[in-house]
Amino acid sequence: MTIEKTRNNDELIITLEGRLDTMTAPSLEEELKASFDGVQKLILDFKALEYISSAGLRVLLMAQKTMNKQGVMVIRNVNETIAEVFEITGFADMLTIE
Amino acid sequence: MKKKKKISQSFQKWLSVVIIIAFLVTTACLWVIQTKLSENNAINLLALNISDVREDIIDASDENLLKLTYEIAEEINQTDKVTSEFLERLTEKYDVTEINHINSDGIIDASTYPDFLDYDMRSGAQSGEFMVLLSGDKEYVQSYQPVSYDTSISRKYAGVVLNDGGFVQVGYGSERFQKDIDEFVVGVTRNRHVGEGGSVIIVNEAWNIVSDRQGNEGKNLETVGVWIDKDKTPAGEVFIEAVYGEPCYCMYQISEGYLVLAVMPTGEAALSRNVSVGVTTAMQILVFAALFALIFFLVRRLVVDNIYKVNESLSAISEGRLDTTVNVRSHEEFNALSDDINATVNTLKRYISEAEARIDAELAFAKAIQHSALPSVFPPYPNRKEFDIWAGMYTAKEVGGDFYDFYFVDEDTLAFLVADVSGKGIPAAMFMMTAKTFIKSFAESGMSVEEVLSHANEKLCEGNDANMFVTAWMGLLNTKTGVVSYANAGHNPPLVKHGNGTFAYLKSRPGFVLAGMEGVRYRKNEIQLLPGDTIYLYTDGVTEATNQDNELYGEERLLHIMNQKANLSSKELCEAVKADVDAFVGEAPQFDDITMLCLNYFSTDEKGVKNREVKKLTVKATVDNINAVTDFVNEQLESMDCPMKVQMQIDVAVDEIFGNICHYAYPLGEGAATICMEIQEETQAVVMTFMDNGIPYNPLEKEEPDTTLSAEEREIGGLGIFIVKKTMDEISYRYENEKNILTVKKYMKC
Repeated sequence: MTIEKTRNNDELIITLEGRLDTMTAPSLEEELKASFDGVQKLILDFKALEYISSAGLRVLLMAQKTMNKQGVMVIRNVNETIAEVFEITGFADMLTIE
Repeated sequence: MKKKKKISQSFQKWLSVVIIIAFLVTTACLWVIQTKLSENNAINLLALNISDVREDIIDASDENLLKLTYEIAEEINQTDKVTSEFLERLTEKYDVTEINHINSDGIIDASTYPDFLDYDMRSGAQSGEFMVLLSGDKEYVQSYQPVSYDTSISRKYAGVVLNDGGFVQVGYGSERFQKDIDEFVVGVTRNRHVGEGGSVIIVNEAWNIVSDRQGNEGKNLETVGVWIDKDKTPAGEVFIEAVYGEPCYCMYQISEGYLVLAVMPTGEAALSRNVSVGVTTAMQILVFAALFALIFFLVRRLVVDNIYKVNESLSAISEGRLDTTVNVRSHEEFNALSDDINATVNTLKRYISEAEARIDAELAFAKAIQHSALPSVFPPYPNRKEFDIWAGMYTAKEVGGDFYDFYFVDEDTLAFLVADVSGKGIPAAMFMMTAKTFIKSFAESGMSVEEVLSHANEKLCEGNDANMFVTAWMGLLNTKTGVVSYANAGHNPPLVKHGNGTFAYLKSRPGFVLAGMEGVRYRKNEIQLLPGDTIYLYTDGVTEATNQDNELYGEERLLHIMNQKANLSSKELCEAVKADVDAFVGEAPQFDDITMLCLNYFSTDEKGVKNREVKKLTVKATVDNINAVTDFVNEQLESMDCPMKVQMQIDVAVDEIFGNICHYAYPLGEGAATICMEIQEETQAVVMTFMDNGIPYNPLEKEEPDTTLSAEEREIGGLGIFIVKKTMDEISYRYENEKNILTVKKYMKC
């Protein structure tokens, strides 16, 4: 998985490519934790993300909780597979998906 | 019950009684007769002795008097003139009491007694007897008796003819008479014995003893103990008196002025009687004993022994050997008895054989009904390629309590079971039909397996007055996934063969038997059958088959033969087990029904097609290997027309499951994980099996997360397996051989 970060002032756009799973979730978690400072709007772009597993969900939950305190978190370009996972797990109601 | 007497004992008893009574009666009669006889003997002996003594006395006195009379006659013949004075002189000379001279006319013309002169001898009976001397006789002696002239005087007379034509009569008075013979009399009694201890006592008119054997001469008769009243005890009669201190039979006679008394001790008479009775009694005892023995022997031989023979035959008949005949032909009665018994037995045999034939027919009919109630057409579902099932029931009697059954309860669920009703015969068969019907109706209503057994149990408990019960093992096979949910009601554990090719007992804690108790709840268990797996159900007729040495066939032998024949088809496997059991049992009779059911699971692939390749990958369970596993899975999926979305879902599942194993299976170190990947082209599905040797953990039991909570409230745990459950079509878990085995199935169609 590749992680691409774009920072515009207090807006952080993270574009993910590949798979967000047990293997890759820890690296995303690290990146996020390193970048939360001063971020008021976190945009996660999933257009190149193939799928997400529960390990990925865990990171998303952590990110959501953090952003609830300092701003907003938006997820974009969710594919069908991932949308289904969000749907199943109730994350669809919890996350802001555009 | 009181023990009955034997005939021989009764007979012996009564025979003894009769013989003893007969013996006593005859002995008593004998005693009486002998007593009388000995008394008579004694009397005869007494009379004989008395008469002997009397005759001796008479002879002696006759001789003595006659001699004197001759001498006196000679003196008279020589004198010229016979005068009373001359006679007086002769009286003194010869010391006689009286002398009379009778002339030829029978008139006394000279006498020592002047009163007798001119007495005509013919005028008295006593004196008249002497008239024979005038008719030619030369002499005449008269016994001692009263004289005709004066009966107060007793005399003994003798007469002798004289030359002058008359005769002389000489008489003794009693004193002279006794003086004359006393000496002789003593001699007569001294040496005379009456019997052994008896004697003769002679007493004179003054009751003084003249002679006895004890030297009591001169003493009164009372001295020896006898006192005789002549009026009360006449002469010639027997009386008993103590003589010389000993009781004796006594008898007396008067003779020549003497009383001759003969005595004989009664003891002597009794002795002869006792000896006689004793000897006779001894002989009687011998005779009666011989009689007893003879009769007893005859009865025993003729009756009792034959009765025993009849009884022996009857015992054999009672024991069921109806071919036994009674053959006691010694007598007509036994002959008839034997014939009657044989006829009765023959009739009985005929009735039994008729009844047997009827029962056999009914049992055969019942067997046919029972067997027709069981599925008996194999293969039962020619169109179903997912499995192969075969079952067989070998009943010990015509009908038994075992049964097997299998049927589809819905499109993909095959119910199969084996059960054993307690008992045998018609009752067991009837209960079996009931149990089978209940189980089937509940199963077909869509209940889960444990509910089926629970409900069936309730129904079977109702009105189970006969207290019968059923053990059963029932499984519901999902023909798509190979998952078998099963419940056990007290039945033997089945044998299951997994991919490694060996059978093992599927041990699970069994529930209580069906119909045993109301309210029993049964536990559901699950196993996953993989393609090629086999499950084998049986009843205890297999494991408890017994050979002639009373050894049980046992679970070990069953496991052994199953593993030897592991690769056979279900039918061949069952037949192989039956053949092995038969070989083990040998000639011993089959006691219990033998029922078995074997199910080979092929999955949804075509039956018998062996290209159902299962790809396997074993790696160390670390997160680093997730990609390798995912790649392995994706590689298999390439052969299928797998939609991208499905592949993504599968990849997520792999990530979740393998990730779980990596994180939790080996908390104390590292271990391996195996992934089997099976493509089922027929149904366009993929089956993945994850196995690890880690701590037992069933992820399916994990509580599902509450997906409605907000981000702040949420726990992240449990989501992974939740996603897998939701995205995969089927999932099952089992723990076997110390392995966690999780199987998921996914159809390619979305």
